Amino acid sequence: MNFDAWQAQLQLVLDQPENVFIERATAAGKIPLGYTCSYVPRALLSLDGLVPVRLRAPGVAGTEIADIYLSNVICSYTRSLLEYALDGRYGFLGGWVFAAGCDHIRRLLDNLAYLVKPAFVHMLDVPHRQGQAALDWYVEELAVLCRKLNATFGVDTGNAALSKAIARQNRFNQKLQAIAERRKEKQPPLSGVEFQRIMIAALCGGQEEMLDDLEKMAAALKERKIRKPYRARLLLVGGNIDDIAFIQVLESCGGMVVADRFCTGSIPGMALMDEEGDPLQAIARHTLSRIACPRMMEELDVRLQAILQLKAEYTADGVIIENLKFCDIWGIESALLVQGLRDAGVPVLRLERDYRLSGEGQLRTRVQAFLESMGK
Amino acid sequence: MNGKSDKQYYGGCDVGSTTGKAVILNGAGIVASAVVPSEIDPAQTAEIVLREACRQIEGLRDIRDLSCLIGTGYGRNEVPFAHENISEISCHAMGVHFCDPSIRTIIDIGGQDVKGIALDEGGGVLEFAMNDKCAAGTGRFLEMMSRIFRMELDQFSELSLKAERVIPVTSQCSVFAETEVISLLSKRKPAADIAAGIQAAVAKRSFSLLKKIGIRPRVTITGGCAKNKGLVTALAGFLRQEIRPLPVDPQLMGALGAAVTARLRAGK
Repeated sequence: MNFDAWQAQLQLVLDQPENVFIERATAAGKIPLGYTCSYVPRALLSLDGLVPVRLRAPGVAGTEIADIYLSNVICSYTRSLLEYALDGRYGFLGGWVFAAGCDHIRRLLDNLAYLVKPAFVHMLDVPHRQGQAALDWYVEELAVLCRKLNATFGVDTGNAALSKAIARQNRFNQKLQAIAERRKEKQPPLSGVEFQRIMIAALCGGQEEMLDDLEKMAAALKERKIRKPYRARLLLVGGNIDDIAFIQVLESCGGMVVADRFCTGSIPGMALMDEEGDPLQAIARHTLSRIACPRMMEELDVRLQAILQLKAEYTADGVIIENLKFCDIWGIESALLVQGLRDAGVPVLRLERDYRLSGEGQLRTRVQAFLESMGK
Repeated sequence: MNGKSDKQYYGGCDVGSTTGKAVILNGAGIVASAVVPSEIDPAQTAEIVLREACRQIEGLRDIRDLSCLIGTGYGRNEVPFAHENISEISCHAMGVHFCDPSIRTIIDIGGQDVKGIALDEGGGVLEFAMNDKCAAGTGRFLEMMSRIFRMELDQFSELSLKAERVIPVTSQCSVFAETEVISLLSKRKPAADIAAGIQAAVAKRSFSLLKKIGIRPRVTITGGCAKNKGLVTALAGFLRQEIRPLPVDPQLMGALGAAVTARLRAGK
């Protein structure tokens, strides 16, 4: 299979909440567990017998029923998930694991528990600061989840099983990184849309099956002749972007998304975890220190510097910061980052959007004008 | 506006939601322009308006005879025979800079969009902000409102200038604003005062958009709504400064900017 055929196959995976990877994992006796936030460690949901599924609502047309239960200042991602949950579109899940990443998702849990009553629901409490006390707290939180996973699904959550899950996750991240590195090239052999297809398919149940393919595709990319012409290299920053249509619009205007610093991207959450020492500590340390979500307090400057470093590393011409409407966390962060980046002389465009792609004409005008303002 | 003259022609075509605009330049300046109502098909709008502009120039038989043509506006990808397309934000900036290089801030109020644009000394875009989805504060909104008064837009504009006091229209949504206005009229409130309230509501939204990009003098207004004197007066009140009039029809600024860029692309 060549790279393009593989991409076409992955595209089919993105069109439905329950995809072929999940179907095959379920047929093999694995239990799919849904999650919505990067503070839910994928390694824990990848223990033998489980399969992690980052929840999406592909093709959602409206949220009429969810709007009855959620206030009008809740983000459209949260609404879309509740709508699909009420439509029974997540019936394939064995359970839901949440992290208290934001209040909107907490309201989703409240309504889900009240309206849908899933057999397994768990909420991880996540500290807002780093440090030893926070780490100890979070390790204990993860231990509670492990005990629950063991009691409910009978999965082995011992240290050996956890270390195996970490090693597996690291192996995937390493192979993915080999592909991501190619995006630093002057003429990247794959577009931002193509890379994001890989990411979403992996996050939505495909990680285990895609492991071998990643290596083959990294090799196939070396032979790939297609070079997409572009006007400007873009670093995309923001929250949850699980719809490639958004990136498609950016790239159809002449942008090339070369780096993805957002919740469903590869930076920085796909960094490797320690394989030595206590595995639960390693998972907790990695999650607390690497996700770099604006929900964490007193780290704005660290996040700003990381973006500047990424821009240099991937030789991006400009930065696009996106956030979902009503997302308090990314809404405030965006405003601060825009100022910080402008002060550093970096061209930056802020885009506020709905979960479902809409207002495409205006979006195109904004992006095209941004590229033109950079002289591209 | 430019000293040189030659037989080469450069076109800009701005396909907007309400009207299609075309400007043709030669080395000396503007030689033709046209404005037509938009058709359903943006390509058709572009063709009609470009043919109308070409017709004004003796010896220019066809759109294809233009040395360089640039499309802009929401239908910019659909302009037939265009060599390139450029966003209307860059084109308005270029058009205004061509007319008056001292302008640093533009408010462009079109049929479905409101845009605030900050310019640098060379006519480049420093920053911009756009209304988001909602049509309140756009030309479409004013069209809806003037229909309630059974008036054309220019009559509505004149009416608003006769107001003795301004009756605020507080609904942000166009549909609810219509209900509010009908309710005020049924209470026998003076039509001119209500019309002034409507103009003030649009001006306020435009002002808040401009605040996002920073307001640096001099300020001008472009787009079809720039011809609405009542709106311009209301906006100048919020800005507390003069809104600089342009020497060329402000509705043509997008097409003019596209034509100027076309001439630059051709190295003239």
